[in-house]
Amino acid sequence: MATYQPTHAHTGHHHVHGPTRSAWDYWKRAIVGVITGVVLGFIITFLARWLFGFDGLWASQVYWSVCATLAGLGFIIGIGCFDWWWDYLRGRKVDYEDHSLHGARSIGDYFRPNTDHKVIGIQYLVLTFGMFIVGGILAELVRLELAFPGQTIADGETYNGFFSGHATVMIFGFVIPVFGGLANYILPIMIGAKDMAFPRLNALSFWLLVPAGVMLGLAQFVGAFSAGWTAYTPLALQGTTGQTLFEIAVQFAGASSIATALNFLVTVMTMRAPGMTVWRMPLFVWAQSVTAGLVVFGTPFIAGSQFMTWFDRVMGTNFFNVGGGGDVLMYQHVFWFYSHPAVYIMMLPGFGIISDVISTFARKPLFGYRALAFSTVAIAVLGFGVWAHHMFVSGMPGWLRFPMMIMTIVIAVPTGVKVFSWLGTMWGGKIHLKTPMLWAMGFVFTFVIGGLSGVFLGTLPADIQLTDTYYVVAHIHYVFFGGSVFTIFAGLYYWFPKMTGRMYNERLGQIHFWLTFVGFNATFFPMHWLGAVGMPRRVADYDERFADLNLFISIASLGMVIGTAIFFYNAINSWIRGPKAPWNPWRGRSLEWLVSSPPSLFNFDAVPQVVGGPYQYGLPGARHAVIFAGEDLGGGELTEVDRRTMLVVANESVGSQALTDRVRQLAASGVWRFTFLMPVEDGNNRAAERRLQSALSVLAAEGIDANGSVVSGDPLSAIRTAVADDDPQQILLVTQPRGASPWLDRDMVDRVRKASNRAVTHMVISGDDARTPTRSSAVQTIAVVANDAMGEGLATAVQERADGGPVSAVVLCPLSLDGPGWTDDAESVRDAAAERARAVIASLQEAGIPARGEVIDGDPAEAARIARDSYGATSVLVGTIAGRGDADIVEAVTAAAQPVPVEHVFVEAAPPAL
Amino acid sequence: MAADHAHAHALGHAPADKKPISQGVLAMVLFLGSEAMLFASLFTAYFMVRYNVAQNHWPPLNSSGEPFELPKVGTGVNTAFLVFSSFTVWWAEHRLKHGDRKGLERGLLVTMLLGLTFLVIQINEYVHLGFTPQDQAFGSTFYTLTGFHGLHVFVGLVLLLICYLRVKRARDFTPTFSTPLVAASLYWHFVDVVWVALYILVYLV
Ligand code: HEM
Ligand SMILES: [Cu+2]
Repeated sequence: MATYQPTHAHTGHHHVHGPTRSAWDYWKRAIVGVITGVVLGFIITFLARWLFGFDGLWASQVYWSVCATLAGLGFIIGIGCFDWWWDYLRGRKVDYEDHSLHGARSIGDYFRPNTDHKVIGIQYLVLTFGMFIVGGILAELVRLELAFPGQTIADGETYNGFFSGHATVMIFGFVIPVFGGLANYILPIMIGAKDMAFPRLNALSFWLLVPAGVMLGLAQFVGAFSAGWTAYTPLALQGTTGQTLFEIAVQFAGASSIATALNFLVTVMTMRAPGMTVWRMPLFVWAQSVTAGLVVFGTPFIAGSQFMTWFDRVMGTNFFNVGGGGDVLMYQHVFWFYSHPAVYIMMLPGFGIISDVISTFARKPLFGYRALAFSTVAIAVLGFGVWAHHMFVSGMPGWLRFPMMIMTIVIAVPTGVKVFSWLGTMWGGKIHLKTPMLWAMGFVFTFVIGGLSGVFLGTLPADIQLTDTYYVVAHIHYVFFGGSVFTIFAGLYYWFPKMTGRMYNERLGQIHFWLTFVGFNATFFPMHWLGAVGMPRRVADYDERFADLNLFISIASLGMVIGTAIFFYNAINSWIRGPKAPWNPWRGRSLEWLVSSPPSLFNFDAVPQVVGGPYQYGLPGARHAVIFAGEDLGGGELTEVDRRTMLVVANESVGSQALTDRVRQLAASGVWRFTFLMPVEDGNNRAAERRLQSALSVLAAEGIDANGSVVSGDPLSAIRTAVADDDPQQILLVTQPRGASPWLDRDMVDRVRKASNRAVTHMVISGDDARTPTRSSAVQTIAVVANDAMGEGLATAVQERADGGPVSAVVLCPLSLDGPGWTDDAESVRDAAAERARAVIASLQEAGIPARGEVIDGDPAEAARIARDSYGATSVLVGTIAGRGDADIVEAVTAAAQPVPVEHVFVEAAPPAL
Repeated sequence: MAADHAHAHALGHAPADKKPISQGVLAMVLFLGSEAMLFASLFTAYFMVRYNVAQNHWPPLNSSGEPFELPKVGTGVNTAFLVFSSFTVWWAEHRLKHGDRKGLERGLLVTMLLGLTFLVIQINEYVHLGFTPQDQAFGSTFYTLTGFHGLHVFVGLVLLLICYLRVKRARDFTPTFSTPLVAASLYWHFVDVVWVALYILVYLV
């Protein structure tokens, strides 16, 4: 897991003391705080009602309200968000630059209030993705109920609880705060700041979200709120405890987002690095700032609406009670005055992410940078003038309809500007289809559909027909899921290496995308049709004629479930043991790519100077920023842009000691960074990918800036593309010696020189050298010890381990001969063993895992010792044939290999007898 | 919560006051924008009830057939207290500029006393009004608006009290560094302005 080490020798002007208390200490206090809150709430309510003689001493909703509110506050105080303030208001001497809670040195530091924006970013992401799972389970319950007409798993009221909980958790618990998480991590680095403006407020914002999440989850079990995420009156007034918790949770979540938004605004306004003018800010910064503006000025309206419903329910006021002179429809006006802007709170940050990702992966300057920035502002401003398009059939004053319709359709214009800018950026670009780019392109596709259905809904006559049908459900999912969620995944994959310091698994990432993309469209596209022919939304049962499509939809939704499961596996697994990530795996230009992955405690060891825009891909000599190192770091410029690129074209030798040494040697001169290109002609990309990953993580661990890709097909055209993309100064072409190299037979050196118009250095690495893996602590050496169990089974076991991170293998076959070793019999046994070992080695190499080995005259324990001492093995795999009871062998090996860990693998069938 | 924005400092940045506007003050200004919107949402409710439902037959009739009545004069006097307290807090800040710490202390103390007087008179008014939040939408909007405002007065008092304690106990604030004080007094002015608007819109017109 990512804990932060200084990238360079740390300059030491920040006084960072390690935390003195463990996370558990904070949580003990938090638990006490919650209990105190509940008890106090109970006592206060009881005394107040008793003393003032209210009738209904036991009005349960009053107790729930006060206890839940105080429990939430008790939690925040207990966990320690106000400790600093407590000292402040007692008049103690306080340190304004108190960094005692800054940064994570152990995993425990992620579980206590932390003032480091990077830690807070991770805290947000983990919490919100937890909410994503909760919301997802509720969604599948909804689909289960709707799979068949009639009552399937839940009665009407329970079903209402499912869909209300689903939408609320997803909106207030996932989409809104998850952008806060990404932005918390990335935005300060993007503008060249060391942290957010108010680190303690930042921590508070995060911890406010925890009670909100708990209350939303808890609500499902105490009489779920069932009036939808919109909680319209008078329906919501009939709700019970769940509705109360909903109202309080929304206040907590709202306070959290307002606090973060203020923080972002002040940070962006006052803490940009020198030279970072607003027209040099990455669009994610633009988008997040505009969003923050929406949050600050919009969120109070949902707070107001929920206060009023709460008072009506709990205190018996008459805001929405027509009998008491109240106005039911007023709720919808106040609610939508926030909640229409809220849909842009959930979309604008995503627009920013997409702009960054598309430009980086199309290797082209963003088309229409200013248009994109202005359209973001335009959408935000216009967004406050369209709220009543949700109320066309609500019975609101007729004259409001037409202006709202016009304004709604007008919003499609700045939205269209964005879409065309993205398309314009991709047009003629060199598109690299990595996972983040797939999500970005998938987003453009689905979001256009969602925007178009929005225009239909904004058109009065169409909406009168379509409102409250599944057409609206299709629309919101095309904009929320196909929109917001796709951008979240794009951003997450894009910055995963930066945030965790590890690479995710590209293949699993792509599988995740395709499963989700296909599953998503199969699930939600048919809903347009269902809505158009009249299936109402928010109802547990439906007419027989909708049955087939609904069943299809419910089944299709499983595609997204599987995709998400793969995502979680990939994210967690890669985070723990993925290959080390380089500083700049995507050759991005904005500031976060100029610092290490993950960045050091205070991000920058020297203040960056911004000198140009962030998207000048392919413009010779253009640069976004320069960083000058301090005296103590030897001075000089730290910018990566001024380093020259060397294109390394190689295949079998990638990951070998010889090539790695050469790269190290070149890197030592400080002027080179490396792009590996592995042209594969035989179609075995998987093996090449593995070798590349392993080589890159070795280099990354040593701080050498390298990235690369595997390309199938003609090497020459691949080289031409790479040259156009990366503009390398030189090419290092690695081949086998003449005679053994098909490339040399085809006169490759000359042809590369002609095709690329660059200086080409030719390096020869013999077959044996190419198979000698790099010695590095970043590579695990697995020793495979087995005699007659040596075979495919063990090879597969090694491959499985290789999926988790770079490995090399040593194949050892201990013979344990009974008789003398020089007889013909012994010779033939030895030959057979050698044959088995050779087969496994070949099969591993085929899979891209460097492997060597030998046959050993001795017992398995002897082999284990040799593995440890001569080969430096970091783990041992002992293979035995299943059902033969070789427990003593395993024991002996375990003892001999100390302290290297030993794993035991059963091999199913006996290998073919000789 | 409001207190948080006021005082925190940028990491590794020059003391906030060297900038044209300090970060704390900037945050407070933005936060007040947010607060203004909260009151705007409650005023929306008030106006919709008044103009949409009651068609501006205002004040409406209570359950015994009489129109609701609000103490315009008493509250007017109370309004004067609050407005006056805005001047005293301004004066307190002004004294600090001249390096007069005693004056600052006195100014804060007088401001808090005025604020407290306002709250007490307001609570007294609640007790004698003769209608409750449950009495029609009129009662609901009236109590919610004035109640939220009262809560803000209370928060403002807490902020001023914190500043006062800092002055007394930690000898905080100098003519060049007084961000928390400026932020608290901004908040106080805001509470004052909201009240004047509320008094005019709810009591007078
Ligand atoms: C071109 C842009 C868009 C237009 C013209 C548009 C228009 C509309 C209209 C007219 C409705 C009301 C439908 C009805 O209830 O009868 C609606 C509903 C909705 N829209 Fe959009 N929309 C657009 C983009 C978005 C975006 C970007 C999001 C969120 C990311 C979004 C989220 C929603 C949601 C959540 C609802 C349903 C609310 C509910 O009743 O639960 N829309 N949209
Ligand atoms: Cu809308």
